[in-house]
Amino acid sequence: MKQDSGEIVLEVRDVGFRYPDGSVGLDRCSLALRRGSRTVVLGPNGAGKTTLFLHCNGLLRPGGGQVLFEGLPLDYGRRGLRELRSRVGLVFQNPDSQLFSATVREDVSFGPVNLGLERQAVRERVEEALESVGMTECADKPVHNLSYGQKKRVCIAGVLAMRPRVMILDEPTAGLDLRMQHELMEVLQRLHAEGMTILMATHDLDLAYAWADEACLIDNGRVVGKFSADEFPHKAGMLERHGLAVPQVARLYPLLVARGVFPPGAPAPRSCAELARMLEPDELAGALCR
Amino acid sequence: MMMLERYAYANRWRRVSPAAKGLFALCGLTAVFAAGSPRVACCLAAVLAAVTLAGTGVSLKNYLRVAAPALGFLATSAATLLFSLRLDGPAGPALHLVPSELPQVAFACTRSLGGLTAMLFLALTTPMNDIVALLRRLKTPETLLDIMTLCYRTIFVFSEAVHDMRTAQAARLGYATPGRALRSLGALAANLTLQVWQRSQSLHQAALARNNDGPLRFLEPEYPRARASLATAALSGASLIALAMVST
Ligand SMILES: Nc1ncnc2c1ncn2[C@@H]1O[C@H](COP(=O)(O)OP(=O)(O)O)[C@@H](O)[C@H]1O
Ligand SMILES: [Mg+2]
Repeated sequence: MKQDSGEIVLEVRDVGFRYPDGSVGLDRCSLALRRGSRTVVLGPNGAGKTTLFLHCNGLLRPGGGQVLFEGLPLDYGRRGLRELRSRVGLVFQNPDSQLFSATVREDVSFGPVNLGLERQAVRERVEEALESVGMTECADKPVHNLSYGQKKRVCIAGVLAMRPRVMILDEPTAGLDLRMQHELMEVLQRLHAEGMTILMATHDLDLAYAWADEACLIDNGRVVGKFSADEFPHKAGMLERHGLAVPQVARLYPLLVARGVFPPGAPAPRSCAELARMLEPDELAGALCR
Repeated sequence: MMMLERYAYANRWRRVSPAAKGLFALCGLTAVFAAGSPRVACCLAAVLAAVTLAGTGVSLKNYLRVAAPALGFLATSAATLLFSLRLDGPAGPALHLVPSELPQVAFACTRSLGGLTAMLFLALTTPMNDIVALLRRLKTPETLLDIMTLCYRTIFVFSEAVHDMRTAQAARLGYATPGRALRSLGALAANLTLQVWQRSQSLHQAALARNNDGPLRFLEPEYPRARASLATAALSGASLIALAMVST
């Protein structure tokens, strides 16, 4: 198979889903993930982000429409699900509902052991996964003695150890302090650099703008907007209609361009930090000369 | 409970093979029951406690704190065995000591004490996870082990949930009067039941997401020089039993 960047790995096509109590989870929802892309799903609470993710991993079956992995509709048989879940990893929002075992290393081994791998292979994967989230030192700690941010990273390691091709994270930064957010984003950055396809839900617009390639806005179970992350500055109306705000830097930068601080047409900064760096005297001089 | 847990994780013999530690505890238990007199049982208890202290590096004070609940229980049981209630006494119903029971009670108590020290040896040197892993190797039924794993993990999740809920209730004066306290406690129990249900649902989902379709299995840690430890444990355990059998 050719690995071109336009190839769709995972696709949700017109999926509808109702919970048993009648509330609408998804309503003709469609989304496609390109291989190696970073996509954010934006949406207010109760929009259907979690429901969408549960469909991607085969935990919920669509009431209507279908989910495709690498071009093929999901096979909901035992073998098919097994295959899917080793390719599409899902990190839940609440770490306490994902961590079973009482020690870090054991918990991370849970997925690979379920895949039926040999001890040595499991061991290697566990160490590698712990390493890539920077939790090697805590490997023998009991889970209940970890901080919230550390638990979160153990959850990610638990999924990484299954070596998925697509990683889905449900509001990974919710409840993390700024430093832990940065550390987490670094982990995601590294995974992206290694070619992982990442889908993440958040309602932190600044974070979404700084990180994503693609954005998808959902509300009431329906996809109400899909756009490339470069277009954030032009989506103010749409975002506000659905209870979200424009990223801070996307609000400021056009004003600075209008005042002639920056020349028009240059690539826009994606975060306030980047903007601040651009405003430092040398950089500014450079930008104006260009 | 939490104290035991903390010491078990931090103890010096954490990395010693759980099989060896389990075997030694079992030998200790056997020796205590093979002991011919209260004095021997008492000596064995002292030896086991000393080994635990030396092995784990836990201080005597902390050891006693961990043992306190069990010792209290032992003391009350001893008291109920020793005293009996007489209803037809001259000054109405009264408690009185039964001297004839004394030797038997002493024997039962020292044996229990010995048993307690043997179990504490295991509990203080071996975290729960390792014990579960050991039981798995000994072919304990998977269902039982899954329940142990989940209960153990859930204890911490729920003690946190209960703590948070209680604090939130207290912050809004939920425990200001006895009446309110009773209501709050009821609400807490109801809420917790709901949470248990939801939590079990999400744990199930999370297990499925990581491809689980049977028993909860994990990678078992490996222990350096497991054979040597096992041999040491067998030897020292056997000598404890021998000691108990020959001395009176
Ligand atoms: N287990 C459930 N039972 C009934 N309704 C649910 C359940 N989970 C979610 N919902 C409903 O489905 C909708 C979408 O929820 P969810 O996917 O959790 O949203 P989000 O993750 O975006 O906050 C909400 O209206 C919510 O009330
Ligand atoms: Mg959600």
